[in-house]
Amino acid sequence: MMKKPVLGRMGSGLRTPKPHEHMLGPIQKISQPMRRFDPGEEVDYVIVGVGAAGGVLLQRLARAGFRVVGFDAGPFWDTERDWVSDEAGSYNLYWNDLRVTGGSDPLAFGANNSGKGVGGGTVHWAGFTPRFHPSDFRVYSEDGVGADWPISYEDVKPYYELMEREIPVSGPAYYPWGDPHGYPYGPHPLGGVGDALVKGCTKLGIGVVAGGPVAITAGSHGDRPHCIYRGFCIQGCKVGAKQSTLISHVPDAIRHGAEIRDRCMVSRILLGSDGLVTGVRYFDANGQEHEQRAKVVLVCGYSIETPRLLLNSACSGFEQGLANSSGLVGKFLMAQAGNVVLGRFADLVRMYKAPPAHALTEEFYETDPKRDFARGFAIQTVGPLPIAFAKQMMTAKGAWGWGLRQVMMDYNHWAAFGFLGEILPWEDNRVELADETDQYGLRVAKITFSLHDNDKKLVAFGVNKTMEVMRAAGAEEVVQEPRYAHLIGGARMGNDPRSSVVDSFGRTHDIPNLILCDGSIFPTQGSANPGLTIQALAARTADYLISEGEAVRSRHTQTIIRPPIRYHLSPASTAGRGVPRLRSLRPRPTIGAGGLAPGSKG
Amino acid sequence: MAIGRQRAKEHVAGSPNGNITSQSEQGAQAAQSKQTGPDTTMLPTNPRTGEPLAPRAQPGYYPGFSTLRQQAFWDEATRNVVLERVQHTPPIRFFSPEEAQLMESVCARILPQDDRDEAHIIPIVCRIDERLYAGRIDGYRYEDMPPDGEAHRLGLRAIEAIAQHLYGVAFVELGPGEQERVLATIHDGEPPAAEDIWQRMSVSRYWMLLVQDCIEAYYSHPYAWDEIGFGGPAYPRGYVRLENGLPESWEVNERRYEWRAPSWAISGEYQPMGGGDTAATPGQEGTH
Repeated sequence: MMKKPVLGRMGSGLRTPKPHEHMLGPIQKISQPMRRFDPGEEVDYVIVGVGAAGGVLLQRLARAGFRVVGFDAGPFWDTERDWVSDEAGSYNLYWNDLRVTGGSDPLAFGANNSGKGVGGGTVHWAGFTPRFHPSDFRVYSEDGVGADWPISYEDVKPYYELMEREIPVSGPAYYPWGDPHGYPYGPHPLGGVGDALVKGCTKLGIGVVAGGPVAITAGSHGDRPHCIYRGFCIQGCKVGAKQSTLISHVPDAIRHGAEIRDRCMVSRILLGSDGLVTGVRYFDANGQEHEQRAKVVLVCGYSIETPRLLLNSACSGFEQGLANSSGLVGKFLMAQAGNVVLGRFADLVRMYKAPPAHALTEEFYETDPKRDFARGFAIQTVGPLPIAFAKQMMTAKGAWGWGLRQVMMDYNHWAAFGFLGEILPWEDNRVELADETDQYGLRVAKITFSLHDNDKKLVAFGVNKTMEVMRAAGAEEVVQEPRYAHLIGGARMGNDPRSSVVDSFGRTHDIPNLILCDGSIFPTQGSANPGLTIQALAARTADYLISEGEAVRSRHTQTIIRPPIRYHLSPASTAGRGVPRLRSLRPRPTIGAGGLAPGSKG
Repeated sequence: MAIGRQRAKEHVAGSPNGNITSQSEQGAQAAQSKQTGPDTTMLPTNPRTGEPLAPRAQPGYYPGFSTLRQQAFWDEATRNVVLERVQHTPPIRFFSPEEAQLMESVCARILPQDDRDEAHIIPIVCRIDERLYAGRIDGYRYEDMPPDGEAHRLGLRAIEAIAQHLYGVAFVELGPGEQERVLATIHDGEPPAAEDIWQRMSVSRYWMLLVQDCIEAYYSHPYAWDEIGFGGPAYPRGYVRLENGLPESWEVNERRYEWRAPSWAISGEYQPMGGGDTAATPGQEGTH
């Protein structure tokens, strides 16, 4: 006979859901009916894609009193009913519609980096939330490669502090890299992989932090429980401890009158005769096509779907794609190098326990003039579950047959580090339209991706260093799997309409009331996981839009450079003026300007 | 990697069409003895004694550990998904009967289960069939690959062509050692036959598709979790012992035993895919 559970059951378990009721973890729920705008009613904002950026924008614009509708191609999750503590059973969290991938180093999508459903990629991210470094915003000025951002770290810093409280981020009291700072919630306990990373780094004299920064609650937070260390972060956190905008911002948005139309695929952005966008056309869950009029359209579909929607919205006056007078929509696509370094230890590790994301080093983040490449990398903990680990053994060791069975029996002896390397923006890495169409009859994205010389040198050096750390931790066998992680770019920001698609707030240079806000607008990507920066930029864009009001629709010369920061727009119980600021104990790295590698077209 | 390439070439050179090797005879004998009693040549062995290890309900180093026995501690949605997987075997609807039979032989070498007793075999082909029948994809297709279903069909034709080229015999008729050698030519990136098919799809990407589909079927099953000592679903209970690989009160300590792949199995040794050009075959699974 089965043992009786000793802990009982958290929450209410499966039940017949009431209309409009969503369980978002064992305790948190949205129970009030969601506002429904009348068909044919023009709203203030339409948001295409309720993910990392779209969720934050939806919440802020609704709280500021605007009429907002968010569209998502995937479901509005009820996490108790829809999510499982199981690798294979989490298939539906990912953007599994067809994309065609090519180039000499083709990217994998789906579970690798693409979410579908309310919360988007934040539903299945591991939750590492490092900030970008000040140097990330001036890569071209400092290193002569890539591109500069039209804004500096100082422009984003207050929004980092704001989002670190709203998410909230747990981590060390002293984070030494970039602009040193602390975190509002305490660090998490280490799992076996974190132990290995700390041990290896310590042995080699490499600085390392433990217990974060990660978007997982270290204490209960409002109606969200704290982490239970079950290790299924990237399968969707049923606990409600790991942040997704689904649980951190969407409930507040609904409470303040936002509408979400889930399972609705936006097929086209509509352009009026006055050169302003007038709304969107979309397919609902039954495949019926509708239009929604809006004063402003915000596209938050990430690096593949945002360019794809613009290209699929080509029309008279924008034959090459909407807002694409620069010809750069879809160009300068990036992915971070995400090699997995695996080490076998004589002792047991059991890396399925604890959140995959819980320790890292950014000691190699900045350009080092002694190396023969620009920019750098981070080393982080990861915690592949059995299916992911078996696939890694296939690529890293060539395992199959009896060899695969045998190495898998040693699963509990292995630890895994994630290398995270900065790949520079190159114009030939791009999103275009394929001739094939999807289930809606829309042309699918065709992605071309190839590494360049600087990228290859950086990856080779960084992966070697990561393997060295794994050996120093005591691993007796160390192997690695090449891989690419987060997507960035595809519609980059800049001051010059000829060399960029949007300004620093995401407003397209071509169409004043069409705004892009997601990872696609980043000119470069650093070697920090992009999730925090995407959300911080969304909060900044929200402040800009609220300050501009109606004026956002006019073609005036932009006057607002630094909108006032609206601290009162934070979701309930997350308000507060940021996190500890610290003075650096170390000198800033001195970086010779330029001359490291041939400049790019940036 | 040199060894990997060498072994395929040796085989092409050493096995002209139609020449059945002694390996194959051994396999044929093995197949015969299957009718009369347990076929010990299929089994992994104890490296000290050379004795075959009898099939067991639960191979691996965690005897007595059962994730399914923990199901009362799982949330209901997860329990439903996992039990459905254990209790229901979908019918074959995508593959033809001939394709399904060949696929069974192939998958029995990609993830061999001869060390499991009959009652604890994890179904693989029906899971792949189910995915292909439903048209479920992972969200992308490489531009040098046909759609997944077509790729699997072409792959089976290629495997059959390689078997005929190397041994002059159908793949399903070969002994396990020859079957492994046929598959190893694809793993190594140097298939000696079916050139027309490899014009239409990448060898290494087909290999990854095949192996990954087998992995998803096998390692999503609770029997496989028990075998490798993975804790399985962990909500709402979570874990309390995070460090030093220590077991929870409901987990068990590792109890290792030595074992070696059957003597005919070249898959027991690790060779890089595609002759060692790992950059050409990056991983496709999300981790960070």
